[in-house]
Amino acid sequence: MNRYRRGWHRLCLALLALVATPVAMADAPLVAAASDLRFALDDVAAQFARDTGNTVRIVYGSSGNFRRQIAAGAPFEMFMSADEALVFALAGEGRTVDDGVLYAIGRIVLVVPEGSALKLDPRLQDLAPAVADGRVRKFAIANPEHAPYGRAAQEALTAAGAWKTIEPRLVFGENVAQAAQFALSGSAQGGIVALSLALAPGVLGTARYVPIPESMHRPLSQRMVLTKRAGATARAFFSYLQQPAARAVFKRFGFALPGE
Amino acid sequence: MDSAALLLSLRLALLTVAILVPIGIVAGRWLATRDFTGRPLVEAIFALPLVLPPTVLGYYLLVTMGGASPIGRWYEAATGRPLVFTFEGLLVASVIFNLPFAIQPLQRAFEAIPEDLRHAAACCGLTSWQSLWRIELPLAWTGLLTAAVLTFAHTLGEFGVVLMVGGSIPGETKTVAIAIYDRVQGFDMAGAGLMSALLLVLSVAAIAVTYWTSSRHRRKHAAAD
Amino acid sequence: MPPPTEGLSVELRQERPIPLAVRLDCRGGEVLALVGPSGSGKSTILRTIAGIYTPLHGRIDADGETWLDTATGLRRSAHQRSVGFVFQHYALFPHLSALDNVIQAMGHVPPAERRERALRLIERTNLAGLEARRPARLSGGQQQRVAVARALARDPKVLLLDEPFSAVDQVTREKLYEELAALRRDLRIPIILVTHALAEASMLADRMCILHRGSTLQADTPLAVTMRPASPLVARLVGLKNIFEAEVVGHDSDRKVTLIRWFGATLEAGRAPQFAAGARVAWSIAASHIILHRRDRPSRGERENPVAGEIVRCIPMGEMTALALRVVRGERADIFFSVPTHVAERNGLALGETASVSLLTEGIHLMPVPAAL
Repeated sequence: MNRYRRGWHRLCLALLALVATPVAMADAPLVAAASDLRFALDDVAAQFARDTGNTVRIVYGSSGNFRRQIAAGAPFEMFMSADEALVFALAGEGRTVDDGVLYAIGRIVLVVPEGSALKLDPRLQDLAPAVADGRVRKFAIANPEHAPYGRAAQEALTAAGAWKTIEPRLVFGENVAQAAQFALSGSAQGGIVALSLALAPGVLGTARYVPIPESMHRPLSQRMVLTKRAGATARAFFSYLQQPAARAVFKRFGFALPGE
Repeated sequence: MDSAALLLSLRLALLTVAILVPIGIVAGRWLATRDFTGRPLVEAIFALPLVLPPTVLGYYLLVTMGGASPIGRWYEAATGRPLVFTFEGLLVASVIFNLPFAIQPLQRAFEAIPEDLRHAAACCGLTSWQSLWRIELPLAWTGLLTAAVLTFAHTLGEFGVVLMVGGSIPGETKTVAIAIYDRVQGFDMAGAGLMSALLLVLSVAAIAVTYWTSSRHRRKHAAAD
Repeated sequence: MPPPTEGLSVELRQERPIPLAVRLDCRGGEVLALVGPSGSGKSTILRTIAGIYTPLHGRIDADGETWLDTATGLRRSAHQRSVGFVFQHYALFPHLSALDNVIQAMGHVPPAERRERALRLIERTNLAGLEARRPARLSGGQQQRVAVARALARDPKVLLLDEPFSAVDQVTREKLYEELAALRRDLRIPIILVTHALAEASMLADRMCILHRGSTLQADTPLAVTMRPASPLVARLVGLKNIFEAEVVGHDSDRKVTLIRWFGATLEAGRAPQFAAGARVAWSIAASHIILHRRDRPSRGERENPVAGEIVRCIPMGEMTALALRVVRGERADIFFSVPTHVAERNGLALGETASVSLLTEGIHLMPVPAAL
């Protein structure tokens, strides 16, 4: 029994040490970023770290969720929204230093995974017939309630006259990245996701995509803003995002840049 | 592999266990030894997190702890940090959510102790505390182990409440479960798979330890009068 | 009534959930047996003395200390009372050795002396060599001794034993009786023993207290209770089978007897002047005071309260034969007694045969008739 007790004691000590040491947490500022920025922003942040030696901690999610969390006091120092209305709302509530800056304009695309018989029509005209004859059983978009890319998808589907038909077949992603996951995993026969995700290496795989005309939805004006908690590093990152190096990355991922 | 998330999860699980085991001992013993009107109601309240959807609990925690609530505001005024979206908020949620996993095994273990043993301890001159420490806990230790292990494993896996109350802040509230979710969204299936496998191994190990020690205990005390 | 400075004094009263109406005393060095059928509250009374159970109303004094007084709200909890309790199933701590079990009760002893004192107690209860064993590896009798040792380790003011012999076999039981008898010679504290076995109580106790549904009916020496039960109920509880009703005829102060009429026969009973002539009484007689009129050896005793009748029960049970004599047909007038089997055979006692017995005067005990028998 004594051998057991010694073993237990050692285990307890080890666990205690684990609990006591604070997790290596940098005071790196928290950035709330819309999911469509996932790969683009990772690249920019890496460059930022190389150039300035400072790091940021990025949390990806749906812009609507972040807007709610920041309003509830979540400790983000910067908010990169896919919908500028959300930034204005927070500014109006006094959560931000100002109205922020337009940093990119997003695009939505129709994706069709391999094995799906959906036609790759940018005007989405094949959707209703595909639902009718059973070629499309599930179609993925982001949740229009709080994801700007979901709202844009809904607008495009409505403009194409396909919303009523496709609505019962929709699968909603928490954010546009999850929608892309659903659309490309083989569980759905297609979806509407962000162009920036489609362009990310390793995402599409064998799937095909086509951009949807901007006329079919309200513009995805992506606005970023510093919150009242923003510190020096956050401010530095904020300006870095407006520099040519960062803008080049955004362009590579299919974003249209303001002023171009 | 998100080692920061793993470390965070382990820390959360261990601290939850450290807080809940004493609570479980006190509450479990109280429920096992005192009969009073309304006891079934108290037991039901403690058991609620077993059946309550995690998002419902998350919702109520947000309402009572969130930035707009009196508790949340008081906490932020006192410490400068909000209660939600922080590790401490997560710890609070975790303790509440794991109450039945800590209390029930301990309650059963205390119930299994014959009442006359407690009476005998009192007649030996042992105070209630001495009786707990020298007589009851040694006899209830498998319940204690089960409570600790179940709480630990359950905390590691908790997702819904963590997401609602913690957000997904790296190094702060991004637990392994959240990290797996995040990796899948980021199309990093390899990373997600590795962490999932690790969690699976930990969970199986935890359950195996519980069953093995309780069967050893049963065999050892089988002949006791 | 002022409590005695030594010994135990108990007074309990409650209606629910367990009815109690108890009044008993036990002096230092005395063994008091609480006897009664199951459900009569014996264990509850013991637990109340120990402090494990609290009644609605009551007062308990032990060796000058007041342990319970509901009138003033005073109540010492069990661990504050110096009580040695031997439970019916011993309640030994299964994870501790016999020695450690005993040491648990020694909180009042300086730590350096505990082990030695415990070992001495172990020896005293005939457990030498077994002190390192856990209860699971001890026999029933050995476990009982550990329980006793642990109870004594407390240096208790009162020793309480709750049917301590019920869980062991007959042979072990008799050995334990002897050991208890030896032990109590050294103990100067009140000892209360709960049992439902009358014979055990008669053997071990100085006094017996008869309980029925939580009420203490009579407390006296075993002999007194069996020979002079306070009521027909007590008579029944102590196992007397011969309980009848009669009418008092009168008292004879010269011969110091009371005459009663029973189914036409006049019997001379032990003197009981408290009953008026003409009063209805109950009477009992112990089997030991019923003498068979032997055909093979007639004796002088035949002149004392002779009664004849038909044998309606004749059951040989080993060395003794149990008999019942029906004195009057159609009435509850069967006299139960027993004789050695060889005597029954030699006198030709069998079903249907007539026989006569003598009821010894000093054995006929008069009791008041209860409101409803």
